[in-house]
Amino acid sequence: MFKLVYRGIVANLGRLILTLVSVALGVSFVSGSFILADSLRAIFNQVSEDAFAGVDANVRAEIGELSNDQAPARFDDDIIEAISAIPGVAYAEGGIFTAEQVYTVDAEGETVRPTGPPVFAASWGGPSPVSSFTLVDGEAPAWQQVALDQAQADKGGFAIGDQVTLSIPTGDPEQFELSGIIDFGEGGTGGAFFILLDLPTTQRILGADGQVDSIVVNGGDTPTGQLLADITPVLPDGLEVVSGETVEQEQKDQFGSFINAFGTALLIFAFIVLFVSIFIIYNTFAILVGQRTRQFGLLRSIGASSRQISVMVLVESMIIGAIASVIGLFGGIGVAALLKQLFSTAGGELPDGPLEIKPRTIVVVVVVGLLVTVGSALLPAFRAARVSPLEAVRDGGRKERSLRFRLISAAVVLLPGIGLLLFGMFGSIDGTTRRLVIIGIGAALSFIGASMASVLFAGPVAGVLGAPIANSRGIVGRLARDNAARNPQRTAATATALMIGLALITGVSVLASSLLASLDELLEDSIAADVFVVGARQAPQFSPLVVERMAELPEVEAVSGSLSVKAKLDGEVITIASYDTATGTRVINTDVVEGDVATLGTDGIAVLESEAKDRGLAPGDTVTIEMEDGFIGQLTIKAVFADQAAVRSPWFIDRELARTHVAADQVEEVGVVFSDSVTFEEGRAAVDEALQAFPQLESLDNSEYQEETQARVNQFQIIIYGLLVLCLIVAFIGIVNTLALSVLERIREIGLLRAVGTTRGQLKASVRWEAVIVSVFGSMLGIVMGLALGTATAVAVPGSFFSKIAIPWIQIAFFLVIGAAIGVVAAYFPARRAAKLNVLDAIAHE
Amino acid sequence: MQRPSRYAMEFAMNDPFTPPSSSATRATVDPAGMAAYAADASKVYGMGDTEVHALRSVTVGFQTGHFTAIMGPSGSGKSTLMHCMAGLDRLTSGETYIGGVPLSTLNDKQLTELRRDRVGFIFQAFNLVPTLNALENITLPMDLGSRKPDKEWVDHVIKTVGLADRIKHRPNELSGGQQQRVAVARALASRPDIVFGDEPTGNLDSRTSAEILDFMRQAVRELGQTIVMVTHDPVSASYSDRVLFLDDGAIVHEMSDPTPSSVFDTIKSLGD
Ligand SMILES: Nc1ncnc2c1ncn2[C@@H]1O[C@H](COP(=O)(O)OP(=O)(O)O)[C@@H](O)[C@H]1O
Ligand SMILES: [Mg+2]
Repeated sequence: MFKLVYRGIVANLGRLILTLVSVALGVSFVSGSFILADSLRAIFNQVSEDAFAGVDANVRAEIGELSNDQAPARFDDDIIEAISAIPGVAYAEGGIFTAEQVYTVDAEGETVRPTGPPVFAASWGGPSPVSSFTLVDGEAPAWQQVALDQAQADKGGFAIGDQVTLSIPTGDPEQFELSGIIDFGEGGTGGAFFILLDLPTTQRILGADGQVDSIVVNGGDTPTGQLLADITPVLPDGLEVVSGETVEQEQKDQFGSFINAFGTALLIFAFIVLFVSIFIIYNTFAILVGQRTRQFGLLRSIGASSRQISVMVLVESMIIGAIASVIGLFGGIGVAALLKQLFSTAGGELPDGPLEIKPRTIVVVVVVGLLVTVGSALLPAFRAARVSPLEAVRDGGRKERSLRFRLISAAVVLLPGIGLLLFGMFGSIDGTTRRLVIIGIGAALSFIGASMASVLFAGPVAGVLGAPIANSRGIVGRLARDNAARNPQRTAATATALMIGLALITGVSVLASSLLASLDELLEDSIAADVFVVGARQAPQFSPLVVERMAELPEVEAVSGSLSVKAKLDGEVITIASYDTATGTRVINTDVVEGDVATLGTDGIAVLESEAKDRGLAPGDTVTIEMEDGFIGQLTIKAVFADQAAVRSPWFIDRELARTHVAADQVEEVGVVFSDSVTFEEGRAAVDEALQAFPQLESLDNSEYQEETQARVNQFQIIIYGLLVLCLIVAFIGIVNTLALSVLERIREIGLLRAVGTTRGQLKASVRWEAVIVSVFGSMLGIVMGLALGTATAVAVPGSFFSKIAIPWIQIAFFLVIGAAIGVVAAYFPARRAAKLNVLDAIAHE
Repeated sequence: MQRPSRYAMEFAMNDPFTPPSSSATRATVDPAGMAAYAADASKVYGMGDTEVHALRSVTVGFQTGHFTAIMGPSGSGKSTLMHCMAGLDRLTSGETYIGGVPLSTLNDKQLTELRRDRVGFIFQAFNLVPTLNALENITLPMDLGSRKPDKEWVDHVIKTVGLADRIKHRPNELSGGQQQRVAVARALASRPDIVFGDEPTGNLDSRTSAEILDFMRQAVRELGQTIVMVTHDPVSASYSDRVLFLDDGAIVHEMSDPTPSSVFDTIKSLGD
């Protein structure tokens, strides 16, 4: 029995190789996702540990649910003295830490910054028990001095003793003396740049005189519990003390949630790839079982039970699955290294560190590899078990299932699949994981159902698709078409692999282009500002000083800054957008249905029409809002926006109200309207001149803004495409696989064709056209599904996110061409193999 | 491979194995006037210890408009001769011609086109492409060469093989005898220089076999075709004009106007 399995695998090794490759590819991606995420987690855990080494306690403003998570709240630094005076405290240092606020400027006046990682500016009291920085060279910074990391000093061409220009958020760039070179923790800065100053200098340039955002405490021999208990009584309201472990863990969790999201995204793609390979495994085993019908019949006639036959097939698949898993596990190391490299070159620059292979990864990979392979071979194995002893002598005319049966079974899978998909996308579900699982199962069922349904029309459609080829290519095209239409199940399964890849790609392209089209429309209709001032991608918030600077310019007529804040409405945390309502309508043409935004003042609020309807509110009603500083205000609804208005949130207040009740007074975007007496160019020049003091900021006019967004969407789209290309590769392998197996199956026929005068070229062409028909069939299915999927998603996304649906026809035509090209390339080896067959050997082939 | 030398040809004409009775036929041998011709044809399979001489300097010609049967014990080289003459395989030495064209000078593509345009071949079984119907199988060689079939001729062939009502059927919807008829029709449909059949009726019952052989003889007599066929059966051989006997890779005997009993007697006498 096992001898038979062994023989079966050895005899079919060549035929199983591509199946093995496709499983191994999917598994590699799964293991690569785990390995990469684990490695990143290890690296960032190290960063967190470094950052809080020697910190036993940390004093900070209480963190509430309304806190701004981009900028910690600052508090008066007089408390440091009181803390230092506590007997259990060995060392206490207050400090300020900022991201993307301060930059070094090189001799050419350019901001010095790394491609991906952020630039931090912080206060530093020099080497101390709580310091996460070490001095590599020179001295710790004193008043009006600065210390930098080596990479930044090299990039900017700064040496110790030089005057270094720093751009600062509160005014014009200033000169500081480079006092020393520093490094971070054990593992280095991970590509980030650090600008360290002493506390008074930091406070001065950030406009935070007498303020800090945290106090780190070393307790010497004092137990942490004791230390916390000693510090708590001296703290004023609004401040809290937590242990060093707590902040360290918070930091780890914060990194961890990013890494988890990243890892999950990779895993989703890995499972998509695996899912695609299911169809290939299924196809291979179905073909192999078909080819061995006689052998199984013979085994049955000499007494093998049907159970033994199916076990035989399953054991074969298990062995393939096991080998693929092992290959995939090691492949995962390569995938992880490659992805890391890819992100680094794309500007993400991930910190160095070894790749972590956890036992969990090994278990998951092997289980997934085995499950996928054996699961895909189940159906063929059952089919093998149904072979009757008589089929040893009969030539295998397979019993076809009735049309009705196929139709019903396809519907039974497809309809619940679509249902789950819709529920997963738009139903009310708690938890992202659960939502993703539901969407995943729904999508999987939809694709399987679509594949089952496609069996029904694979034959006729292949016939129709092949008709022009048959007409123009004569008998060669005719043969190609007939071969493609010959075994609808096989064609459908092969096409499915391509269908899934192209459905996802098309769906993404529809969403991306609809998003851009909606945005275009929005910009055209709503934006009245001449330019917008925006921050760096890593730090979108910046100092409100910019609004004042812009307002001072004679070329500027109106300015409006915006800020989103968190607030509580009826106990529910919501985001409220704000801008300077007095000038705001000059900047954005918000579509107001009722009332007037300019009248909001500090006691008014505006709301989106649909939100008001949902909550049963009307103009004149009051709502109670709680804000970050604990302020509770009764606000009157004074305006209602149309749903398609260009506001970022359903609720809207004046920026004056927002800024007075948040800890960190910042803005996110500043719209500027030039006065009529200047040309656009003059206005632009004045704004850019004023922005020289803020190198992290840039001004964008409408079309630049549009380009910028388009670039972001495109970049995102390219990353998704890049990952989805893996699906196409697996689909490609699937086509090669099916064609190769089909060629093997048709050896005699090929011999005959050659004997009666088919040239090698004609034979190759016929295999190639067959592949094109199958791949175009798959591509068309995929494109149709992708169009449906993308459009449905865009339509169903709540709110005014997609105001317009744009179908990128040119891109889609291009996808179809790619699909056909995949077929042509996939046919290369099978066609060559067919053409190389010796005519007489082929005819004599059993 | 070389062209046959004059010496080789003369040697062949004085073949010591050939009985005197056949010399009259032999005297007319002239490569140019032959539908197919083999000169000094040798085929060796394998090397060293496993060397098999499937053909030993065979020189033979098949005149246009004749129906020849080839007989001989299993392994005597009958199939090898057919394959090499039909351009399906290459000789180790010697030369074969189709309509005066020396096959060794042709590359694979030219050889394929020659098979397509000038040769018909009928295998013992599996002669048809399963995805094509009977008519498409019959016109396959012409379609491959983008040649317009001579409709009248094709219709005539089809009618003669008795397939007119089955012409749209796929091979799996036809009986074994019907399939072989389609194969014969295909071999004849393009009016090739010569048709080779390697035991074309070997798998058929005697009645069906007789029908097909009748048709082949008719094709030669009435349509002027040239057919060479391998057979084991003296009755089948008796449909031909001439029978060649092969043994151990060489032609050992030949006879004209065979009858079942004369063929049978010859086989017996050769076996002794
Ligand atoms: N491909 C081959 N490789 C090796 N030997 C072969 C091959 N084909 C035929 N032979 C040998 O050549 C001899 C003649 O074979 P064949 O022409 O098939 O004989 P026949 O058709 O008369 O039975 C036999 O001994 C056979 O074993
Ligand atoms: Mg033979």
